[in-house]
Amino acid sequence: MGTMRKKTQVSFVIRDEEERRHKNGVSSLQLDPIQGRLYSAGRDGIIRVWHTGNGVQDRYIQSMEHHTDWVNDIVLCCGGKNLISASSDTTVKVWNAPKGFCMSTLRTHKDYVRTLAYAKDKEQVASAGLDRAIFLWDVNTLTALTASNNTVTTSSLVGNKESIYSLAMNPPGTILVSGSTEKVLRVWDPRNCSRLMKLKGHADNVKALVVSRDGTQCVSGSSDGTIKLWSLSQQRCVSTIRVHSEAVWALLATENFTHIISGGRDRLVIITELRNPDNFMIVCEETAPILKLCFTADQTGIWVSTSESDIRCWKLPPLNSLDMYNQNNYNTNNVYQTQPLHHIPGGPAIKHYTVLNDKRHVLTKDTANNVALYDVLKASKLEDLGEVDYEEEVKKRFKMVYVPNWFNVDLKTGMLTIHLGQDETDCLSAWVSAKEAGLTTENDQKVNFGALLLQALLDHWNHPNRVNETGVRVIGNSYFNVPLHTPLIFSEVGGRTLYRLQVGDAGGETEGNLLVETVPSWVVDVAIEMAAPKLNKLPFYLLPHSSCQSKQDRQKKDRLVANDFIQCRKVAEHVVEKIVGGGDVNGASAGSGRGSANEDSGNDAPEERVELLCCDQVLDPNMDLRTVRHFIWKSNVEFTLHYRVLKQ
Amino acid sequence: MSICQDLGLNFQHRMGANISQLERDIGSEQFPPNEHYFGLVNFGNTCYSNSVLQALYFCRPFREKVLEYKAKNKRTKETLLTCLADLFYSIATQKKKVGSIAPKKFIARLRKEKEEFDNYMQQDAHEFLNFLINHINEIILAERNQSTLKVQKNAQGENVTCNGTSAPSAEPTWVHEIFQGTLTSETRCLNCETVSSKDEHFFDLQVDVGQNTSITHCLKCFSDTETLCNDNKFKCDNCSSYQEAQKRMRVKKLPLILALHLKRFKYMEQYNRHIKVSHRVVFPLELRLFNTSDDAVNPDRLYDLVAVVVHCGSGPNRGHYISIVKSHGFWLLFDDDMVDKIDASAIEDFYGLTSDIQKSSETGYILFYQSRDASC
Repeated sequence: MGTMRKKTQVSFVIRDEEERRHKNGVSSLQLDPIQGRLYSAGRDGIIRVWHTGNGVQDRYIQSMEHHTDWVNDIVLCCGGKNLISASSDTTVKVWNAPKGFCMSTLRTHKDYVRTLAYAKDKEQVASAGLDRAIFLWDVNTLTALTASNNTVTTSSLVGNKESIYSLAMNPPGTILVSGSTEKVLRVWDPRNCSRLMKLKGHADNVKALVVSRDGTQCVSGSSDGTIKLWSLSQQRCVSTIRVHSEAVWALLATENFTHIISGGRDRLVIITELRNPDNFMIVCEETAPILKLCFTADQTGIWVSTSESDIRCWKLPPLNSLDMYNQNNYNTNNVYQTQPLHHIPGGPAIKHYTVLNDKRHVLTKDTANNVALYDVLKASKLEDLGEVDYEEEVKKRFKMVYVPNWFNVDLKTGMLTIHLGQDETDCLSAWVSAKEAGLTTENDQKVNFGALLLQALLDHWNHPNRVNETGVRVIGNSYFNVPLHTPLIFSEVGGRTLYRLQVGDAGGETEGNLLVETVPSWVVDVAIEMAAPKLNKLPFYLLPHSSCQSKQDRQKKDRLVANDFIQCRKVAEHVVEKIVGGGDVNGASAGSGRGSANEDSGNDAPEERVELLCCDQVLDPNMDLRTVRHFIWKSNVEFTLHYRVLKQ
Repeated sequence: MSICQDLGLNFQHRMGANISQLERDIGSEQFPPNEHYFGLVNFGNTCYSNSVLQALYFCRPFREKVLEYKAKNKRTKETLLTCLADLFYSIATQKKKVGSIAPKKFIARLRKEKEEFDNYMQQDAHEFLNFLINHINEIILAERNQSTLKVQKNAQGENVTCNGTSAPSAEPTWVHEIFQGTLTSETRCLNCETVSSKDEHFFDLQVDVGQNTSITHCLKCFSDTETLCNDNKFKCDNCSSYQEAQKRMRVKKLPLILALHLKRFKYMEQYNRHIKVSHRVVFPLELRLFNTSDDAVNPDRLYDLVAVVVHCGSGPNRGHYISIVKSHGFWLLFDDDMVDKIDASAIEDFYGLTSDIQKSSETGYILFYQSRDASC
């Protein structure tokens, strides 16, 4: 293991086994006209496949899941046999499109992959993104990759100085254009990877590009709100089209390059005649900024995706009648269509979350204002609360209890992604009582949230060390299981994904081998070797309260160390035994969390003989030390408790 | 360090000659009535304080407020502000027109107030200015809170708990009114292109210096767009994820007196210390800000240069500070206890050096621009 290797983060997603609706914006669309299938790339990390035929009630066919972050772009190639996808998880993936499984993963990019371009005649795909690099891929090579033969050569187009947000290639693959925050278009000849030109003119990021089949013309859409038509042969901007009031994010050219259909931040889909930009028409108004446009099979309509999860299909006006409609002022809103032809409804994305004080339950609110309660420990949703007052629900669930953080919540996909603490100190910091956590009714045992969850997540992994001396398989977590479909993700901290699998698949041989390579050793220690995580020690001072008159107590300033989850009762016991000097001797002492508290049969309980105070506040004997420090002492230094003898 | 002490040895016999020379240079006819030009004695490397105090004395709105404070607060306990007020008062009430004064009480108080200044080492004039302005402001706020506490006590009897966050603190103090401006930082997510903005107050603007540039250029660079990318992406609330973003800082509220700090001491990793950047930066006598936000309150303010704290020497912990100030239309150079009239054209000498070979330089370090609408 290299010393420079970044830490590995363990994450998982809490979701349903089958997520039939997009849970977030839809970045890209591709149509298979032969099969009548629409592929949609979700910011929930899932590519979904839909029936486009008329009269179909349930359009959902299947999900293609393997990305761990936004899918930013897709292209369908090889006549619908394969799909290539680009994601913010920094990978490009090759899919078997009809069957929907991932064939291989390309990890050449170092940052989000934002955009793809496809040269149909050559079966060539280009990918680019925030790492400024453009890679050219031969699709036939990519689809022939196997586990043993997995090296692939790629050509790269260098020269971009800033992050790339758009790409386009013409079908014969003779021209490639890139758009970036540099505000210029860079043009290459992909056949020999030579730079052809740089076109200046836009005042902001270039987010959408199309090139004509012959490679002589190009249309660009920019965050500056304009669309520009460029002559590549003359190396100049031919016209600037100002039909949008805000940034242009999506472009689609008609087959013979006579018209451009555009969409963007102003939520309007507009069709414009390229040679006569005054001749334009608003096709429809969407409910959110438009991310992608895609023709229907007969090209009389367009599928539109937005930063919301719905996908709609709209009828296009006849191209030869744009001017006629304009003159006739076709309706009051100046919008051609107000009702879509088809609508593929999406689901809501989670937008807000609150981790409750027990550091186990998370309350969420989604874009439809639905509030839900999740149990992170069991990787499941507990309850849909509906459209209730979120703040009120958070308040209602407030408990005066302090448990250390051991995970982070991430809402990038619109679903709940949980990142466990990055190392053993972070992840394994939360010790709680198994009884209070509702995991057992038996004698009070302390359990570690992080360890339990890691054990459950890796329960199916047939690690060689998982058998005990007698050869019996050791069950990691004897309290609970997590859903088998739970996606488990290993990634570099704050960066690239290393491996993703479903919890239930960890038993497979290939998966097992990959896990051996990926899982950090501290996780193996806890989840497989069943090593007990370290206890958190909490130092504190114990002093007699000022109202205590005893003289000899005055000088004593005991510095003690105890497990952070020790209850005040235990400290009271310690005071009774060691300081005040009780009549009975029982085995319990402060400093050891293990072992059960001996219930005094005849004598008074220690909390009835001694009371503890912090900042002059009398403490509940059931409250644990870390809670006292967090809510009452409110500082990390010189944590001090006082005791007061009630009766000798 | 050595420079200051050398000057200290010399001042006695030079002083007499200089004063009369200054009066002669100005001319008794032209000598502004009710104005006093008094040098400040150096107590061993206290030129960082002397230069800043002189510059502040000739920021008229500030001087007037300090003297007003002196008039209103006759018998309060000693603070750095009362010491400053006493010093300004003693300059303003001198019988002689010119001379020198020893800011003994002020320096003693300063050394008590802040450990970093409690020695005989050269200090950074900007750090001192920053401390002084903030500290004075805190004194005013504390005194105001105390007086409201008294009022509340009188009104409600003894059961009053006042935690200092009461409403009056929100009211700007005269320090705020003179020096405080507002910056707005605008961040645009490159994915959803939503702009989020955040305001923050400032007492001075700190700008990087480039070779052969002007203040306007430095201010432009200050407001240049910065792209948050790679490992430094922006957590966009709208996208619920880390995205690239463009960020820029612009001035939303222009202060009455704009203090510009030229960042001339740059930390060089290879030397493990701060190196002086002597680049030539032209500062105009009149200044308008162009890096204002679209919603700026008073973007058209025209500023006049009124004072400059000049650093002489080769590094932050060595060398000397002097100041040049504008008073009644002519320019004066204050070098500790010495005061000279200088020609406006001589200001050019403090722009900096065009060559990087020379180590030592006399360069403008803190510029005080006063809004023209303030001098009424």
